[in-house]
Amino acid sequence: MRTILSIFAAGAIPLSALATGQTPAATDPKLVAMLEAKDANGKAVVSPEERTYFMGLNDHLRELLNRAVQQEVITSPQHLHSLLALQLRPQKMDLLLQNNCVLCHSDPEVQSGEDLFSSAPASHDSPAYMNLKDVVEDVHFRSGLSCAGCHGGDPTAQLGHNFVKEWPEKERAHNRAWVVQFCARCHSDPTFMHQFNPSLPTDQLAKFKDSPHGITLLVKRDDRAPQCISCHGVHGIRPAKDPQSKVYAQRVPETCGTCHANPKVMSGFTRPDGSPLPTNQLAEYRLSVHGQALLARGDLGAPACNDCHGNHAASPPGVAIVSRSCSTCHSANVSLFDGSKHKQAFDAHSWPECSKCHGEHAIKKTNDSMLATGPGGLCGDCHRQSAKNNPECVMTADYFRKTIHEMSETRDKVTKISDNLAAKGLDVEAINNQLTELNDALKKSRTYVHSFSRNTFQQTAAPGEEAIQKSKTLVTKARSEYKFRQIGLAASIASIGLLMLAIYLKLRQLEK
Amino acid sequence: MQSIDNPTVESSSQKKEPERGAGETASGALRAWLDRRYQLTPLFDFLSHKQVPLGVHWMGWYYLGGITMFFFMVQVVTGVLLLMYYQPGEATAYESIHFLTTKVPFGWLIRSIHSWSAHLMIISLLLHMFSTMMLKAYRPPREVTWVSGYLLFLLTMGFGFSGYLLPWNKLAYFATTVGTNIVRSVPVLGNWLLEVLRGGQDVSINTLYRFFAAHVVILPLAFVAFIGLHLLLIQRQGMAPPLGEKVAPRGMRFFPSFALRDLLLWLACLMVLAALAVFLPYGPGIPGMDWELGDKADPLAPAYPGIKPEWYFLWEYQLLKEFPPHLFGLEGPQLCLFVIGILFVIWALIPWIDRRAYRDKPSPAFSDLGWAAILFLTYLTLMGWDVGAHHDAEQLTSMQEVARVCAWWTLAAGAVVILVRSWRFGHRWFILTGAALLQVILHGLIGVSYLLAGLISFVLAAIAILVLLYFRRSGADAAIST
Amino acid sequence: MEEHTTTVDKPATSRRHFIDLLLGVSVVAWLASVAYPIIRYLKPLPQTGSGGPTHLTRDEASKLEQKQFVIVPVSGQRVIVVNVQDRTCAFSAKCTHEGCTVTYLPGQSVIWCPCHDGRFDLNGRVLSGPPPRPLSQYAVNRQPDGGIVISEERA
Repeated sequence: MRTILSIFAAGAIPLSALATGQTPAATDPKLVAMLEAKDANGKAVVSPEERTYFMGLNDHLRELLNRAVQQEVITSPQHLHSLLALQLRPQKMDLLLQNNCVLCHSDPEVQSGEDLFSSAPASHDSPAYMNLKDVVEDVHFRSGLSCAGCHGGDPTAQLGHNFVKEWPEKERAHNRAWVVQFCARCHSDPTFMHQFNPSLPTDQLAKFKDSPHGITLLVKRDDRAPQCISCHGVHGIRPAKDPQSKVYAQRVPETCGTCHANPKVMSGFTRPDGSPLPTNQLAEYRLSVHGQALLARGDLGAPACNDCHGNHAASPPGVAIVSRSCSTCHSANVSLFDGSKHKQAFDAHSWPECSKCHGEHAIKKTNDSMLATGPGGLCGDCHRQSAKNNPECVMTADYFRKTIHEMSETRDKVTKISDNLAAKGLDVEAINNQLTELNDALKKSRTYVHSFSRNTFQQTAAPGEEAIQKSKTLVTKARSEYKFRQIGLAASIASIGLLMLAIYLKLRQLEK
Repeated sequence: MQSIDNPTVESSSQKKEPERGAGETASGALRAWLDRRYQLTPLFDFLSHKQVPLGVHWMGWYYLGGITMFFFMVQVVTGVLLLMYYQPGEATAYESIHFLTTKVPFGWLIRSIHSWSAHLMIISLLLHMFSTMMLKAYRPPREVTWVSGYLLFLLTMGFGFSGYLLPWNKLAYFATTVGTNIVRSVPVLGNWLLEVLRGGQDVSINTLYRFFAAHVVILPLAFVAFIGLHLLLIQRQGMAPPLGEKVAPRGMRFFPSFALRDLLLWLACLMVLAALAVFLPYGPGIPGMDWELGDKADPLAPAYPGIKPEWYFLWEYQLLKEFPPHLFGLEGPQLCLFVIGILFVIWALIPWIDRRAYRDKPSPAFSDLGWAAILFLTYLTLMGWDVGAHHDAEQLTSMQEVARVCAWWTLAAGAVVILVRSWRFGHRWFILTGAALLQVILHGLIGVSYLLAGLISFVLAAIAILVLLYFRRSGADAAIST
Repeated sequence: MEEHTTTVDKPATSRRHFIDLLLGVSVVAWLASVAYPIIRYLKPLPQTGSGGPTHLTRDEASKLEQKQFVIVPVSGQRVIVVNVQDRTCAFSAKCTHEGCTVTYLPGQSVIWCPCHDGRFDLNGRVLSGPPPRPLSQYAVNRQPDGGIVISEERA
């Protein structure tokens, strides 16, 4: 860790030397030539946008460019073009222009193949290649930690790999267990991390060590287990809030799925009870209500894998804590359940609470038919198998289902009628108010099913039943209003018709 | 003038009226009382002598002006009623209309009738104008009547445009933004005019205040003035007799025969209006003829696709789209505005351009011009309506596909027009109709750009007319027949 | 033509009387059918006002005093008005999660949606639970006479 600090310090020295006391120099003639160079087809190599970007650079950055050209770190117009095309903010451009590693490796005249960092998208796909954009967008690069921070060497040195270690060493490439320790040199040091992001936790390693992932990797020495870079990437690491990050909420399921949805990788891993670990979680999740919300609707509030399993301490929630994971969002349901008769029964069977009925990864959008007491209904099936045949329970479930069904049926029907009446030009505001009331009661009732108590449910459903009655009265009223309009129209047409007849007769009489 | 000197009606019929029953005696006394003070007898004499020419044309054409005026009167009455609840203003304009249509008893009816009557008024006005065009009723001595009617037409467009914004809903807001933007293309004055019209750089609540003032004060005053002039001229000169005859072969007395028939038709219109207002309170559901209130205008909301003006502005909207961004060193919209301006000026000056009708001779070329104008507008309007476009938003229809479908419809209409005119009325002069249809074929079916197609058709028509004139000069008068 | 009108015979007179009567009756009937809607239209409604800024009624104001909150309609939308320590604020009462109507919990000083336990603070921001967005705020104006006026924020 101390070495990295010293590298930072070394990087910072020339910067301060430059910033003080040097007069802003004019643009180097070689640089001017590069800016104006044309390719074989007579097209300018440095595009007008890039030239505008160059014109907007401050004196300090121009001086750095001048120097890079004079010292022949930047040698060709193509090289200049690839640097200016990044359109970096001044702070980053400053870091880039003082980083001889990146400068040299982005020069197409000097480097080729895997060694050339280019912005071309093709190089992004292959892990061996380094993408120039990824390098400069890396969260570490931004904070001043670049190549040398891990690879060693002196980024301000003129040349060569004299100081750079072959890294990682050949033997370390086989087992990646050392990676966690390597990252932790900084990331587990609160004082050090505080300089960059005071709110960033530093307990990742501690959590990881005790997690199934950590135990597999560090204790069982099984290299299939993930370490930091499996999820966060190596070069081009982005913060989790960045949509391009592999650990961005919407990309987490896919990232976890690279291993957990791959039967080859997962073969041999078992649950505590010895059964093989399934690999269908990702497929199930994608179709679940949570997966649809997060991936299809883009609702970032919907949970991804880590919201229930944890991040660095990822582990399957045990029976006792399933409901705690769910209650982070569905707290009303959980607290109702906790107060219900079912709580003790579930505890007695040591059943996981929520997932017993709703499932784990394949949680479907709830459906009123789950309350059915007949075959196929959740209530019915479970009670026949595991509970005494209690007629009161059956009646309660039937009552729940009937009430909810009536509310949702009426809501759909009245919504249709209301739209229809609105198209006929009638005032449906009062009906729609009742519909809102009904909808509220319906949503609340569906939640209050989890109390499994007739009385509690009844209190919630009562406003809904009232709204049903009121909306029906209002619909009748609106319909009679429409009838009145039609009768009024008929009456006025009749009176106009009569007048027309009278005028016609008068006209005939006058013309006789 | 002809009808005043008409000798067929004698004034003796006038004196017989007081003989009828007690009621009539009372009214006779009243009339005598008024007559002593205001000398009404000459006026009554004039009115009772007034005649409507009967003859070659279908009588129906003579009623269209009256029907238009009826709809205008309905507009005045319903407009005044709406004014009693409408509150212009950012927080009140939309809300007051919403309140009016939902809470006020019969508020929905008044608004619905006002909207329906507006559209029907424009339809009857257009029919009235085209019938006048076809019957050459604009010829001397009725040029000023034509011009005053033409100005009434422009004012009606102004009513439509300004009234559209007043409910301050989303659709109206965007349509007005697009509509007023056209003014920017007026050379030199453009920006100034735009700011005056909008009350600022953008459409805002200030625009609403201006449009409100125009809709309920400025335009009605102007309209009443011109309608007064229009009616005065018609009363003074009588209705135009058929072409080529100084005096109509037969006549119908204006009072009571024509006036009562007018009244009968008005009542029929009222019946239709009431039925439409009850059964289709928000219009027939055609784009540009729909006045459901929808959402309140939000100047910060993004515009959405499918913003279209009212149907009678569609042709201008479509023509604007057919112009490229730059042409002949001018901006497209500027040039388009120039073309539309020229068309409007020509239309206003028709009584003076039509030299044959001026000399009271048949002028088949101008009948043809009228029909060509109808086909020209039909084609543009159909395209503006996206007739033939797919309705699901996923699949965008190409302009060319829409143009093809619209072209077939226009050609079908054109064929019917030509057949009916040549068989039923013996017309033989089809150069301009032909040019209009040629443009439709070139653009819609072959795919030539709209402007180029128009130019080709225009040049060909001009050559044909010049050739025709040359032959007529050299004595081959037979080449033209009615 | 002239002769017909001048020769007065009995059936013609009665026929003419009948037509005149019919004319009179139908004119009256027609006028009635036009006048009825207009008269109804012009009669002012018991509760005036047409949306826009909403004044709290006496009932609503007293409810606000007692329970510290009240839900009122503003331009067709439900708005929750909360009164805490001399500060009155108003928010859309429609929860941004599934659209349930929210309520106020005076004990905890939070706005609470009972459907899925969404909680908002008194600036409308989400404190906990599933709502994805804060509640939109409405402007509250206290008038000199103590009346409270709620209007949409945008002016």
